[in-house]
Amino acid sequence: MSGNRSAAAMLAAALSFFPPCAAPAAEEVPQKAQACIVCHGPGGNSTDAAMPSLARQPAQFIALQLFMFREGDRKDPQMSPIAASLSNADMNELAAYFSKQKPAAPSHKTAPENAATGRRLTEQHHCVQCHGPALLGLQHIPRLAGQQFAYLRTQLRGFKAKTRADFDGNMTSAAELLSEGDIEILADYLSGLAPLRD
Amino acid sequence: MLPAPFRSLIPLTCALVCALSAAAAQAQAPAAAPPSWQQGRNAEQEKSPLHPFAIEVTGRAAKLLPVDKLKAPAGFKVEVWAEGAPGARSMAQGDKGTVFVGTRQLKDVYAIVDRGGKREVKTLLKGLDSPNGIAFRRGTLYVAERHRITRYDGIENRLDNPPEAKVVVDGLDPQNQPGHFWKFLALGPDGKLYYNVGAPGNIVMPAYFQAAISRVDPRTGVIENYAQGVRNSVGFDWHPQTKQLWFTNHGRDWLGDESPNDTLHVATRKGQHFGYPYCHQGDTLDPEFGKNRDCKEFTPPTLKLGPHIAPIGMRFYTGKMFPAEYQNNIFIAMRGSWNRTIKHGYNVTRVSFDADGKPKMEPFLTGFLTDEKADPPMWGRPNDVMVMRDGSLLVSDDQNGVIYRVSYGTK
Repeated sequence: MSGNRSAAAMLAAALSFFPPCAAPAAEEVPQKAQACIVCHGPGGNSTDAAMPSLARQPAQFIALQLFMFREGDRKDPQMSPIAASLSNADMNELAAYFSKQKPAAPSHKTAPENAATGRRLTEQHHCVQCHGPALLGLQHIPRLAGQQFAYLRTQLRGFKAKTRADFDGNMTSAAELLSEGDIEILADYLSGLAPLRD
Repeated sequence: MLPAPFRSLIPLTCALVCALSAAAAQAQAPAAAPPSWQQGRNAEQEKSPLHPFAIEVTGRAAKLLPVDKLKAPAGFKVEVWAEGAPGARSMAQGDKGTVFVGTRQLKDVYAIVDRGGKREVKTLLKGLDSPNGIAFRRGTLYVAERHRITRYDGIENRLDNPPEAKVVVDGLDPQNQPGHFWKFLALGPDGKLYYNVGAPGNIVMPAYFQAAISRVDPRTGVIENYAQGVRNSVGFDWHPQTKQLWFTNHGRDWLGDESPNDTLHVATRKGQHFGYPYCHQGDTLDPEFGKNRDCKEFTPPTLKLGPHIAPIGMRFYTGKMFPAEYQNNIFIAMRGSWNRTIKHGYNVTRVSFDADGKPKMEPFLTGFLTDEKADPPMWGRPNDVMVMRDGSLLVSDDQNGVIYRVSYGTK
């Protein structure tokens, strides 16, 4: 964690030293990423509650999901055909690009009555054990903070129903005992969290 | 309005009701089981930031890796031998020189062939269940998945059109639960296939066929347990002279940074018990399962390799390329620790023996570890070692899907 933080600090310092790098122009979006941002939003910041944001998701996580779509472990009418044409190198390139984009502030507002319960559920069901105390993700584990509400809810329902492919079995076991009410509260809580460390 | 004494009770009553309803909510919603790799943690370790590291399933291009950091002793040369084999783990060489490579998190087996000094990686088999174990003898490739061992006869003549799998033995994973059930596979001097079935968790009582190295006769399909009390061995080989089985073993997690050691063992006969789950590293009783036991009951390790250092593949060096003192030494791929505050391993270690047969270990190939306190601490992870027919040593790196070659006396 501290390694990532210091790397982020160094990156920030480098960017402030070379101001033109700080705000990449629209034409710098790699050709391969053009198709992605149609649904996932400019810079990978989705504005559709059902569509996940990719900005600042860990690169290893993005590559893993693309791989799972291509290999047929995850299935989606839109993503499966897109991933089918991607090579490993394409996936790594897309992952690197979106992992470096700045996440937008969440548009979702957590219902006040769900804030404390949501936090308690993230601890009770071990979310924070892998996704980190601020739920920002790490390596192959996704950022949940500020992710889209309906997307999170769909994934949790899928893990509980054992229909959502799971790389190592941990999400299937974590979601096993969630009630539909817990899922609603978790999705509401997580999607309202700040996607960056203060 | 209520009299003052009653009014003061209102917040108290509310607090009580709230506390009760919160307790009721907790009771209604039991906590899910923690991730399986956390099994065996004590109360003090509940907030531990330690966690296992996942491989890059899409692999990484060798040109993006700091391969120049890799270091072997003077006179040895290290180079990238093949890339584009994501998740590359166990290796075996065919009669015609094909290098077969298994995977654990992927479903593929690769065949790597030399095309005029350049290696071509073919995805030979797809859709298998954790095909980690790979062995080759007399034209036949054997593959160990979680649940079965299969054979592919005449495979080197059919690399672009592999035959259907023939089952040697099936039903090896009856419970399909989390646990150490990917397999290492090797052919013994007796012509039998040796494989491990690991423990079903970090520290749990195994069933009779678990935490064991077993062997199956490929002609009859008859299985025997060969070694018991082996938490998880994913690397073994036979001593070139004594023909005894040597194997690496992973010790349990969550017993602290310095305990227990992962170990190197020799099985001098069939039926020995090596301690799990009662006794670790030959001298440390388990806090739970070790009660009322004595480490003297069990066969101790030959060598303690380091706590949580994760030894995977091991081979005796029998090639003719390296200096004479390397003959019958052991190379061990240390995949590297995660369950330790200060990370170590992430190298290939050489084990040599003095005149009395006393083992000594030293790092042989280093440079994968970047920062012992970082998360992640490494850029690559050695997984298996294999002596090529020319005497060079191949080292697979499953983190990146790259295979390196260590040679001696070449320029």
